Amino acid sequence: MKRQKFLSSLPSYAYLIILGLIVILPLIMIFSQSLMSNQEINRWPPKIYTPEPVFSNYVNMFKRPDLKLARWLFNSIFAAAAYTLAVFVICAPAAYAFARLRFPGNNVLFFILLATVMVPGQVTLIPNFLLVRNLHMLDTFHVLIWPGAANVFAVFLLRQFFMQVPKELEEAAVLDGASYWGRFWRIVLPLSTNALVALGIFVFLGHYNDLFWPLITTNSIEMRTLPVGLTLLNFSYGGMERPLVLAGAIFASVPVLIVYVIFQRQIIKGVAMTGMGGR
Amino acid sequence: MQKSESLSKTNTPKRFRMNLKTRETIAAYLFLSPFIILFSVFVIRATFYAIQMSFFDWTILRPFKPFVGLANYKELINDDVWWLALKNTLYFSIITVVGTSAVALAAALAINQPQVKGKEFFRVLLYMPSLLSVGVIGLTWVWLLNTQFGIVNYLLSFIGIRPINWLGDGKLVIPALSLTTIWWGFGFPMLIFLAGLQGIPEQLYEAARIDGARQGQIFWRITLPLLRPTLLFVTVTGFIAHFQVFGQPFIMTRGGPGRASYTVIFYLYEAAWRAFRMGYGSAIAVALAIIIIIFTLLQFRFIGRRVEY
Amino acid sequence: MPKLKALKYLLSLFILVFFVQTMAQDEPEPVVTDFGSGGTLISFWNGLSGSDGVTLNEMLGQFVSENPDVSVRTEIIDWGTLYPKLQTAFVAGEPPDVFIVHASEVAQFHSYGMLKDLSYLYDTNGGPLPADDFAQPGFNGVFIDGVPYGVPLDNHGRATWANVGLFEAAGIEPHIPNNFDDLVAMLQQLTLDANGNNAASADFDPANIVQWGTCMEWIYTDFESYLWQHGGSIISEDGKTATVNSEAAMAALQKMHDLIYKYHVSPEPAGFDAWQSWAGGKVALVPTGSWFRNFAEDQTDIQGQALPAMQLGPNPGVWFGAHVFMIPVSLEGEKLAAVEKMIEWVTNNQKMWAASGQVPARISVQAELDPENYPSNILIGKTFQDYGHMEVVSTAILELQSALDPELSAALNNQKSIEDALNDANKRMQQILDRTQ
Repeated sequence: MKRQKFLSSLPSYAYLIILGLIVILPLIMIFSQSLMSNQEINRWPPKIYTPEPVFSNYVNMFKRPDLKLARWLFNSIFAAAAYTLAVFVICAPAAYAFARLRFPGNNVLFFILLATVMVPGQVTLIPNFLLVRNLHMLDTFHVLIWPGAANVFAVFLLRQFFMQVPKELEEAAVLDGASYWGRFWRIVLPLSTNALVALGIFVFLGHYNDLFWPLITTNSIEMRTLPVGLTLLNFSYGGMERPLVLAGAIFASVPVLIVYVIFQRQIIKGVAMTGMGGR
Repeated sequence: MQKSESLSKTNTPKRFRMNLKTRETIAAYLFLSPFIILFSVFVIRATFYAIQMSFFDWTILRPFKPFVGLANYKELINDDVWWLALKNTLYFSIITVVGTSAVALAAALAINQPQVKGKEFFRVLLYMPSLLSVGVIGLTWVWLLNTQFGIVNYLLSFIGIRPINWLGDGKLVIPALSLTTIWWGFGFPMLIFLAGLQGIPEQLYEAARIDGARQGQIFWRITLPLLRPTLLFVTVTGFIAHFQVFGQPFIMTRGGPGRASYTVIFYLYEAAWRAFRMGYGSAIAVALAIIIIIFTLLQFRFIGRRVEY
Repeated sequence: MPKLKALKYLLSLFILVFFVQTMAQDEPEPVVTDFGSGGTLISFWNGLSGSDGVTLNEMLGQFVSENPDVSVRTEIIDWGTLYPKLQTAFVAGEPPDVFIVHASEVAQFHSYGMLKDLSYLYDTNGGPLPADDFAQPGFNGVFIDGVPYGVPLDNHGRATWANVGLFEAAGIEPHIPNNFDDLVAMLQQLTLDANGNNAASADFDPANIVQWGTCMEWIYTDFESYLWQHGGSIISEDGKTATVNSEAAMAALQKMHDLIYKYHVSPEPAGFDAWQSWAGGKVALVPTGSWFRNFAEDQTDIQGQALPAMQLGPNPGVWFGAHVFMIPVSLEGEKLAAVEKMIEWVTNNQKMWAASGQVPARISVQAELDPENYPSNILIGKTFQDYGHMEVVSTAILELQSALDPELSAALNNQKSIEDALNDANKRMQQILDRTQ
C-alpha cells in the first residue's frame, strides 16, 4: 500500500524536480560563467566550470565609472520601499473610508476607481512625464514615488482586508470614545498587519521590477534603478565583455535572493494572499 | 494626520454638536483626500490629457503644436508597424498566458498531492525566478539563448538538435521571449493555483474515488471546474500584464530581428521617447487602452460565463 | 502587539531615511566619475562607452591635474540611450554643460535651437583653434549655413579587421580585393566546414560551417558604404526625397544578401555576435569600425590587422562620421569658460585620443602618429580622406535611421524580400521627410 502510494506520486516528483532544475541551473550557470575570462566564455562547447576563476569582473563593476551597481541596487530598493510606504499612507485611509464609512458620493467614487482599473498605465505615461518635467522632478526619487502612489489596486485590496475585521470590535471602541482615526489606527490597522505585509511585498516587487517609467524619468547615472542600469550595461558591454555583464546580473540578484531565503514564508504567503484578492 | 487628531477632540466637547452623518462625511473625505488629490492628478487628469494630446501634432521640442484632428489615428490605421506590433504582442500574450498557466497549474497539482513531501521547499524554489528584476532576466537569458555559445543550444546538442537561432530567427523570437517570460513568471500563478486547490474540500475527492473515478476524471470533472474562478483570475491578469510587455524585447532583441519582436509598448517608446512624437504616442496609448478594455470584457464574458455552471 | 510595533518602527525609519535622502538631493554626493574636486564643476555627457570611455577618462584625468580650477563630471552612456536622454534633458531645461554627439546629428539638435554658435572658438574669428587644421570633409559636418556649432574630436568609421592566423592558414595575404568577385573568392577560401572543406570546394557543407569568411556587424553603416560604392544614397541631395529603393540600393543589399545565402561566407546576422566570434577565432574578416582597435589588441591570442572596408560596388567608398563637442546655447559665465578650456585642452591633446582607435580630427595630429603604434588609425584615416562619405545630414537623421535599420535587418535575415524591405523603408522614410522637411 505504502509502495503504491509512493509510485503514484513519482510523476509529480519527476515534474517538480525537472522544473526545479530548469529554475536553478541557469542561475548556477550564469554565476559560474561570470567568473570566466572573456577568452574562456567564447568557446564551443561552452565551459560550465572554470578551474581558474577570475574575480576581475566583480572588481571591475566597482572600478568602472559608468557602472554603479551598488548605487543602482540601493536606488531600486530605496525607491521601492519609499513607494510602498507612500502607497500605505495614501491608500490605507482611503480604503478604510470605502470599507467602513458612509458618505455621499461613495458609490460614484468607487465606480470611477473601478473604471480606471481597466485603463492600462501606459496611457498616463506621456502626460505624467510632461507633468513631472514641469515640476522639475525628473531625475529625483520623487518621480519614482508619487505618480504611482494613488494605487487603485491597493485600495481595493485594503478595502477587502478592512472589511474582514469584525465590526463589533470597532463598535466597542466607539463606546470608549474613539474617533474615526482612532478606530482606523488602533483597531483596524493592527488587526490587518498580516495583510498589510502581504500587500507591501506585492507592491514592493511590482515597483522594483518596473523598467519603463524609471527609464524615461531618470537621467543621471546616479539615479538609475537596477533594471535600467542593467539594461544599459547590456547595451554597452553585451557584445564585448560578456562575463562582466553576467557578473552584474549576479550582483544584482544575490541580495534579493538572500532576503527571499530569510523571509521565504512571509513572502510566499503574502504573494498568494494578495494575488487572491485578500481571500 | 493632525487634522484627524483634532477631529477626535471634537468628539468630546459638546459645543459643536454636529450631527453624526455630517461628521462621518467629513471624516471620510479627510481620509480620502490624499488619495483623491494624487489620483485626480496622476490618473484622471493624465488620462484625459492623453486623449486630448492624441488629437495634436505634439512634438516635444517644437514650440508649435497644431491641432490635427484625427490625423494621428488615421496614420495609426495605415501604419504597418503598428499592426505588426499589435500582432506580435497578441501572439506573445496568448502563448505566454497559456504556457504560464499550464506550467503553473501542473506544478501546483504536483505540489498539492498529499503524498508529495517537501511542499515548502518546492514552493520556495519555484517562485524564486519571479523575484528577479527584468534586467537580470534579460541579460541572463540573452546569453543562455545565444546561438553560438549559449547553454540552451549546448544542452540540445546532446539530443542531436543543431544550434537554434533563438533570438535571431524572426519566427522563433517571440516564442523565445515567451519561454523566457514563462520561466520568469510561472511562480505567481502557481501560488494562486495552490491557494485555489487548497480551497477544494477533500470530501469531494474522496466521494469521487469511492465512485471509482480515475485520476484524469477527477481532474476534469472536479478540480478544473472548481478552479475556474482562479483560472479566470490568472488568465485575465496575466493577459493584461503580458500585453504590456516591454522589458524583454527592449533588453534582449531591441525589437529585432527586423521588427519581429516589436511590441505595442516598444513601439510606443520608439514613437514618444525616441522620435519625441508625443501626440502620436498618445494615440498609440489610447488605442492600446481600448484594446485591453475590450479584451478584458470579452474574457470575463467567455470564461466568466462558464464559471457559473 | 510586537509585530505592529516592529512595523511602526520600520515605517518611521523609512520616513526618516526618505526625508534625509530627499533633502540630500540638493547636494549630490561626489562620485567616481568626477575628475578633480576643485574649482568650477562642469557636466559632460557622451556615448563613448567601452574602451573609448577608458581613453577619454584618462584624458580628463590628466586635464584636471593640469587645470585644478576645473573639475569634470562625465556621464558615459550608450548612444542609443544618449539621444533621448539629451533631448529629455534639454526639454527639462537641465542640459549638460558640454556633450558629444555625431556631426550628422548637428542639424537635428540645431533645429531644436539647442546649440551655441562656436565661431568665436576658431582662429578665423580670433579664437584659439586653428580651423585649417581640421580634416575635411569631416570638418564641414559641424557647419550649418556657414556657422560652426561644434568642435570635432575625431573621425571614425568603417573598416575591417583580419584574423591574420586564419588568412595564413588559407595561404592568403590579408588584403581587400577591389571587386566583388575577387572578394567572394577570397572569403570562400576563408570559410570552412566541419570537415575542413572551404566554401569553394565541391564537397563544402553549408549546413556545418565552423569558420566564417566574414559576418555582418553594424548593418546600417556598412549598407550605406556599399550604397555609395554603387553610386546611390539614402536620401536625395536636397534632403526631401527618400531614395533607398533605388537600383543602387537594391544591388548593394542584394550583394550583402548573397554573401550570406548564396555564397555562404557570412552567417545570418541576427543572433551572431560579431565581436565575440572574432575573439573566439571563428571569423576571418570582421567588418567593424575604427573603434575595434583596443578590443582587437585585448585578444592576445589572435593576431589582428586592420584593413579598409570591403568593396562590394564598382567604386571604393566608406561611411564615416565625426565625434563633435557641442555646448548648449544657454551656457554662460564661469562654466562656459571652463568648458572652453577643456575643449581646447582635449583638442590640443588629440594624440592621446588615438589610443581609442579613432582617427584624430586634426591633420597635424594625424601626421604625428607613428606607424609602429598606430597602424590602424593611419590606414583607416587615409581611407576616409581618399574616398570617405560623411553620414548624410538631415534634421530627421535619427528617425530616418530607425526607419531603415529594421528593414535592412529583416531583408538580411530572410524575413522579407529585398524589394519589399527597401520599398517599405523608402515609404516610411518619405513619410518622415514629408512630415519634417
